[in-house]
Amino acid sequence: MTGRQPRWLGAIVALVYLFLHLPLLVLVVFSFNASRFSVEWTGFTLEWYRQLLERPDILAGLRVSLVVGVISTAVATALGTLLALALARGRFRGRGALESLLYVPLVTPEIVAGISLLVLFAGLKIALGLTTIVIAHVAFSVSFVTVVVLARLAGMDRSQEEAALVLGADEWTTFFRVTLPQLLPGVVSGALLAFTLSFDDYVITSFVAGSGTSTLPVVVYGMVRRNIDPTINAISTLVLVFTTLLIWLADRAGRERFAR
Amino acid sequence: MTDRRRRFLAWLGRRPVLQAWTLIAPAGLWLLLFFLVPILLMIGYSVMPRGTYGGVESGFTLEHYARFFDPLYLAILGRTVVVALVCTALCLLLGYPVAWVIARSRRWRNLLMFLVVLPFWTSFLVRTFAMIFLLRDTGLINTMLLSLGLVEAPLTLLYTPFAVLAGMVYSFLPFMVLPIYATLEKLDPALLEAASVLGARPAARFRRVVLPLSMPGVVAGCLLVFIPALGSFLPSDLLGGAKQMLIGNLIQNQFAAARHWPFGSAASTVVMAGVLVGVLLYLRTRDRPAPAMPG
Amino acid sequence: MTRPDPPLLEALRSGALSRRDFVRRALAAGAGLPAIGSVLAACGGGGPERPADGAMPPMPAAPEGEVAIYNWSDYIGETTIADFERETGIRVSYDTYESNEDLIAKLQAGATGYDLVMPSNYAVRVMREIGLIEPIDRTVLSNWGNLDPAFLAQSFDPENAWTVPWQWGTAGLAVRTDRMPVPDSWAVFHDDAWRGKMTQLDDMRDVIGCWLKYRGRSLNSVDPAELAGAKADALRAKANLKSYLSAPVKAQLIAGDVWLAHLWNGDTAQAKTAEPALEFVLPKEGSMIYLDSMVIPRGAGRRRAAHEFINFVLRADVAAGISRKSGYGSPNAAALAADPSLLRPPSAAEMQRLEYQEDLGAATGEWDRIWTEIKAG
Repeated sequence: MTGRQPRWLGAIVALVYLFLHLPLLVLVVFSFNASRFSVEWTGFTLEWYRQLLERPDILAGLRVSLVVGVISTAVATALGTLLALALARGRFRGRGALESLLYVPLVTPEIVAGISLLVLFAGLKIALGLTTIVIAHVAFSVSFVTVVVLARLAGMDRSQEEAALVLGADEWTTFFRVTLPQLLPGVVSGALLAFTLSFDDYVITSFVAGSGTSTLPVVVYGMVRRNIDPTINAISTLVLVFTTLLIWLADRAGRERFAR
Repeated sequence: MTDRRRRFLAWLGRRPVLQAWTLIAPAGLWLLLFFLVPILLMIGYSVMPRGTYGGVESGFTLEHYARFFDPLYLAILGRTVVVALVCTALCLLLGYPVAWVIARSRRWRNLLMFLVVLPFWTSFLVRTFAMIFLLRDTGLINTMLLSLGLVEAPLTLLYTPFAVLAGMVYSFLPFMVLPIYATLEKLDPALLEAASVLGARPAARFRRVVLPLSMPGVVAGCLLVFIPALGSFLPSDLLGGAKQMLIGNLIQNQFAAARHWPFGSAASTVVMAGVLVGVLLYLRTRDRPAPAMPG
Repeated sequence: MTRPDPPLLEALRSGALSRRDFVRRALAAGAGLPAIGSVLAACGGGGPERPADGAMPPMPAAPEGEVAIYNWSDYIGETTIADFERETGIRVSYDTYESNEDLIAKLQAGATGYDLVMPSNYAVRVMREIGLIEPIDRTVLSNWGNLDPAFLAQSFDPENAWTVPWQWGTAGLAVRTDRMPVPDSWAVFHDDAWRGKMTQLDDMRDVIGCWLKYRGRSLNSVDPAELAGAKADALRAKANLKSYLSAPVKAQLIAGDVWLAHLWNGDTAQAKTAEPALEFVLPKEGSMIYLDSMVIPRGAGRRRAAHEFINFVLRADVAAGISRKSGYGSPNAAALAADPSLLRPPSAAEMQRLEYQEDLGAATGEWDRIWTEIKAG
């Protein structure tokens, strides 16, 4: 079955990937462009990478974004997966209401979520900072994780779980050894979405960040909103290269582990 | 220790409702406190008089809802729904093949999946400016078309509905691809072979086997695209030239320059209520022939 | 570090909204919403009046070790912060915002930890009105004398008790003089010879304001007939516009996609460094001028360090460095004397045509409706 795809299908998919990555290519190329306004190619330079070293705010923003992204992805993925399991398996009153509640964060305009969270934090006397950013990011990404894991759970075969239970494994072991591996593609998809949402969020973060905790998008937004600053292209290129490398290494390590 | 754990699990196992709630509690509480409470705050704002300097004043009024049901604002809402629907349809048409190819590939699966979300690890504005660079009159696409002699004069690509849709599809595509991938991935190739052996042509195999089995992913993807698309406003501003308004722009304005939190809240509440009613209706039709799907 | 009480709790405590009142209202309404509502009112800042005390908070003898600054993005000198840290040993925590409304919303919620912020003229008035800022102590500002008196004693702060001028700017026309003749009037947007080559700012106050000026009205007008006229003019112009676009239009002016943009003078100056054919024109009918100020949020924890930073900025060389980078005007007379390349203040004749934006108060809703109609039209 694999490999025998119709040619038109391959063509569509190739075009979609081109569509997604052409702007990135522009960005990478222009990170080496001598022209400050990125209007046309005027020559090769590493100047923008050098200037990056003099921008502690960008690097600090990157650090905040990574910390927030990793923590909120872990929390949101765990909470979202549990919620999806309950919704898919549980038979209890209020299930429909709870499931529709899931879609509230999706439909809430970001500015509304940002301002109302800000008011809430002020009311609860929680100082704005890393904690409030993580809380907000988890709140808006849990739904995405749950919806994706739910889709995976729908129609999943339970016979293996039942077999494990019949064979004497307790529910704990069954969950970690049987259920979770079957769910994994859904969980990974959800986690990827959660990290992406966290790493790219500007509007909500700008309301709940306190002094000294601007994330990368907040710093970058400020830099490009008024001006086109090529150091942005440089930092974006570095983030792209770094994450690609990381995923590639993880992928290779994973493959070696599973190889017979 | 393990004994206690086992007894606890056994105790939970005898009480399915409790079991469900232990799973729900962490995420449920989080959403309740940090999303439902803020939403209630917002609904509260929507029925209060406007504060002169932002915020609200105490009192009760329904005038903001009355104001929203004005042809001017309803037209904006209608336009937004159409744009979000077209965007969802395009994402489905482009995203489904991508999800299929990722799910069917072995060696490149992880890489292909990763490449779908990679663009989003740069900033939204940076990506958008890169798109503007591609699309504008003196941009890369027009320069190439002109030098290849394919067109006589530059095409107007930027600040058109086409550019807005391109920007929105770009933003929301992963939300379509990932859920569909998650359902397609577990599709047993043996089913397709069986269908094939029984004489089903490719189109029929897709329509009768693949599509029904991936429906949960398609529905999830459509919801994850359509609902946030209703609230989006930056693509319309930056790629559409801000010459039209979507409901997201209207709401954004109320919390910014117009400083009319109650009206912005009322507009958000109307949109949110519409979506929730839609989702509830959908869940009801889905759950009626229960248990249609095992699990 | 002392933080201001969140308005909600403060309202409950101060008795502006007593607990009994709260419960009574909740019961009387028979539903939760109006009860939440009354709490919200307190949160929103429109509720209880704060005592409008201009009492000077105590000034610590020595500066604190750190200062948190919240400024507009892209609005400071290349080395201002590093120089300040090196000279004073005070560490700067620097974050940026994109609009006056974002700034006000955040300060209104309290507990942000910022020590110095830079709102525009009309926002200063709002912030004073709802008690978000505290007075400046001029006795520790030894460089105060460097300021140009033309930018002091503005209507939003006649005694300069609350504000220190930071930067000023105007809106007008940025023209590619190599592509089209230099216009002198807002009427150029009605000339379809340039259709598709022109943009206006994506800003309600700037667009409606310029069409009010075009008819010789005040850009703070709340007269329905005048606003209706401005709307008609704006719609006529919209047919010729490529888009509504603010600061990002610079790249397209340089690339030549746009020949004429409704833009601020500082942004035009920045773009001119890449495209010398660009000129900034102040239309003959007049336009908007703004003045951003340094103010200290109420309850700021590091008052002395904030004053040290203000005094640093008032130095001629530092002020000049900021304007050289931003392209905007410096209110610092000593800086202008030291660096002739800096933007000159408007002449007396130009000042006659320029007008500051005031807060529109209750009329903001009417303006917003007209803006929505322009966008939808």
